Amino acid sequence: MLAASLSVIIVSGIVLYWIRPHKHNWAGWLSALPPLAVTVWQLYTALPFLGGGAYTASGQVGALQNGAILVEQYRWIESLGLELSFRLDGLSLLFGLIISGVGAAVALYTHYYLEDDERQGYFYLSLFAFMASMLGLVWADNLLTLFVFWEGTSVTSYLLIGYSHRSAVARGGARNAFIVTAGGGLALIAGMILLGQQSGTYTISEIVARPGLTELDLYPAILILVLLGAFTKSAQFPFHWWLPGAMAAPTPASAYLHSATMVKAGIYLLARLHPALSDHPMWLWALLTFGGVTMLVGAVTAVRHWDMKALLAYATVSQLGVLTTLLAFRSEAALLAVVIGILSHALYKGPLFLVAGIVDHSTGVRDLRELGGLRHSLPVTSAAALLAALSMAGVPPLFGFVAKETLLESLFEAGEYGALAGWIAFGAATVAGAFFVTYSLTLMWEAFLRPGPTSDSDGPPQQDSLQDAPTHVHHHPAAPFVAAPLLLVVCGTVASFALQPLNRLFMPAAAAISGSPVTKYAALWHGFTPVFLTSLLAIAAGVLLFFNRAFLRREMARFPDGLRGVVVFQVLLDWIYALGQVTARFSQGYTLASQAAIVLLAATVPVAVALPQIVPADLVPSNDFIPGAPETILILMMVVSAYVTVGIRTSLGAIISLGVVGVSVTLFYVFFSAPDLALTQLLIEVLLVVLLVIVFTRLSPDIRPPMQKLKQARNVLVALAVGAFGFFLVLFNSSEAMQAAQSISGYFLHNAVPGGHGTNVVNVILVDFRAIDTMGEITVLALAALGGYALLNAPRVNLPRSISQSMEPESGENPDVRIAVEAERSGPASPTGKGGA
Amino acid sequence: MPELYLRLLNRILTPILLLLAFYLLFRGHNLPGGGFIAGLMAASAIQLQILSRGHRRVRRTFGPYLNNGIGLGLAVAICAGFAGLLEGTFFKGIWFNLDLPLMASIKLGTPVVFDLGVFLVVASFTTSYLLGLSRVSDTAAHRRDEAASRSGYSTAGPDQADRGVATGTRAES
Repeated sequence: MLAASLSVIIVSGIVLYWIRPHKHNWAGWLSALPPLAVTVWQLYTALPFLGGGAYTASGQVGALQNGAILVEQYRWIESLGLELSFRLDGLSLLFGLIISGVGAAVALYTHYYLEDDERQGYFYLSLFAFMASMLGLVWADNLLTLFVFWEGTSVTSYLLIGYSHRSAVARGGARNAFIVTAGGGLALIAGMILLGQQSGTYTISEIVARPGLTELDLYPAILILVLLGAFTKSAQFPFHWWLPGAMAAPTPASAYLHSATMVKAGIYLLARLHPALSDHPMWLWALLTFGGVTMLVGAVTAVRHWDMKALLAYATVSQLGVLTTLLAFRSEAALLAVVIGILSHALYKGPLFLVAGIVDHSTGVRDLRELGGLRHSLPVTSAAALLAALSMAGVPPLFGFVAKETLLESLFEAGEYGALAGWIAFGAATVAGAFFVTYSLTLMWEAFLRPGPTSDSDGPPQQDSLQDAPTHVHHHPAAPFVAAPLLLVVCGTVASFALQPLNRLFMPAAAAISGSPVTKYAALWHGFTPVFLTSLLAIAAGVLLFFNRAFLRREMARFPDGLRGVVVFQVLLDWIYALGQVTARFSQGYTLASQAAIVLLAATVPVAVALPQIVPADLVPSNDFIPGAPETILILMMVVSAYVTVGIRTSLGAIISLGVVGVSVTLFYVFFSAPDLALTQLLIEVLLVVLLVIVFTRLSPDIRPPMQKLKQARNVLVALAVGAFGFFLVLFNSSEAMQAAQSISGYFLHNAVPGGHGTNVVNVILVDFRAIDTMGEITVLALAALGGYALLNAPRVNLPRSISQSMEPESGENPDVRIAVEAERSGPASPTGKGGA
Repeated sequence: MPELYLRLLNRILTPILLLLAFYLLFRGHNLPGGGFIAGLMAASAIQLQILSRGHRRVRRTFGPYLNNGIGLGLAVAICAGFAGLLEGTFFKGIWFNLDLPLMASIKLGTPVVFDLGVFLVVASFTTSYLLGLSRVSDTAAHRRDEAASRSGYSTAGPDQADRGVATGTRAES
């Protein structure tokens, strides 16, 4: 059923693409159905497990503590030990519910956000592909299965961020996000392979149950690689800047990917591997350091931004830092706080993003300096926003308060046990908590509550300062548009009064993170503890900061641009491009002849190095290879026509004699009864000759100019080297010793009919035995076609300066002539043998 | 305008070549042929079209399908690979007999479907290059003629062409 749910999501994405949703009013509701169905199915399946035991004050809940609700396995590539395996337990259930539940709201919302956009279907397709990847990621029970879905989320999020592909900002944001997350993915796969090899299994539930992984010699390597993967995905400190950059995505994608789900994938991975890897000081300090810094950097930076989405993005970064910090600890309370933090964040940050989208959609403005008074013009939206923002600030009795209380309490407890780490985390969380309050208040006041954009002296006045009216709403949002965030906010508000049933969800999730049953449970009211007082203090500090936000913003604007993550990354990227240009200059050269020389020598030289190891006895050909009369004639023909090709002065003559060489090779194949090769070679010869005749007769003079001595010498040398290489290779291969050695051909010959159901062994090898090779080849062809399409259809090609200047009198910047010149200069060296298919 | 005999040849040969391509494609599993060869054969049929009708008209006929053909070919090939999952692993061949009323039974399998994908990719790829290169050489020749007529030559004389080549050679260094 888990795999079936994934298929349902993927198929409904395709269906939504086909029905052209921008033309139908009901498409929004339709799109919400599949994720909703998956949510209901998960609840229905899990309910017997969650409700099994009675909830008591001591928190003994349910039959499900560490166990799984559902396990599914499918074979994938048996020979490689790959399998698709899924497992639904407490943690994946929580994530699965968030993904499909928030997904339903976002799907509904998307239809109204994109309205008449023709590419709405494309957006739905990408969104649902992302949803399927994300669900697969949290349900996976095999490291490699998890990785496949992990990469799936990277690719689909790239498509979603770059949705407005005509905007350079969107393309840049998508590219940066992809480079960072996919780069982290590379580290992650290395870490996973190490982890899998060291623990002897790739099944996550078995790895997690295995003790002593932290004592391995390779533990630090595994930890660093896995953390790199998780930190890049979840936007932790040195990589946090890609998340605000990804805000170029359409708002539904920001709400869904960049607050509720995808950025939590890294958190999920840390939580999933927590039982196996956390019992080590390295884990504690790494997560504490990076999580703590991320939390503070995000919280402080959020206050600075005027753009609603940027503010929310940094707030998200901060919250992700909080979750990472919590995962550093092993106490039940901390893990419970992680679980509650994840849910509460999805239920307030998601709607806040959606509200930002509605505001953007209705007023055309997202800048806090130009917003104000929306409580009058968009009352329902404002109500949703205020509730969500209060929850973000952690004001009792909202769900955000429960999350913050649990968080601070767990860190305080860890502190009471005397660990230095706990106190550090507690202090950082309190400071971050104050800033949470500040930016929540800023958002509420500036966008929704104050009478108009210019009613306080904060920002520089944008318009006439006499006008102090609410921002003009030119486009009132439809009811379902507002319903989506409102529903999520209502869930978030009700949650804190429904903790009793929700604990049945939280505790198995926390148990899955800790690897053993937990007895802690969430409660709304903890009494007047020191923690509560700290929390009040943080709120007071936050309010104080709110009133001084103009000062904060001024000071933070002084932060040097050169140190910002995006800028540093761009500099690095430019260096890589420069390096690429240098290597290309060395490894490619400008003309076809020099490129061919480099490729051919690269093939020849390594083998030439190995040549001395061959004993002369190996080089005696077996008797089958002594040429008879027909072969001798062919050989003579080839030698003569090759000589003619090089020596002849007319281009047409050279092409034709080159064709003769090719056809002679074809005849060789015929003599040695290789009809498939002969056919292929013949067809390629025909196409090549015809094409060359077309190109050369049109473009070049009939008489070829004499070649420079130096180039001639180079070409002779390369030709001799390649010829000798081919000669010795064939001689070695046809020697007695090699013929006697075990060859793979026997296997193919014997198995073609019983295994491949075909008598043409060459074809059976191509499409059956070595089908993956062929797949690779045709993929290369497709890529080459893309490159050729770009080159041949380019309106103008940027020529290297020397060439474009030299061609000035003839043709200015005409790319066609350049190709012609290139082709001419390459002259006779172009090799024919495209040979065996 | 192309020669009359070429246009006549095109009328006769192109259908034959295309039929031959399909024939080679489907007999490929047992006799010489297969997707690669068939793709090249189809491309040479189109090359004949280009020679006889000019690349513009051929592009109008086939142009819109080329990029899609490459994509479709890749998709077909990969789907044939995934079909193998039903039997156990990726790219495992699945075979079944198709009984037709008049003929003997035909063996069909995922490798044949895979070969069809290869055919589509090779044919579309080669055709797109043929068309692209024909157009590039055409426009280049056109522009050269224009430049020649501007500078007073009626046709592209050998001395002028030599000059272009000579400068081009010097530029390489």
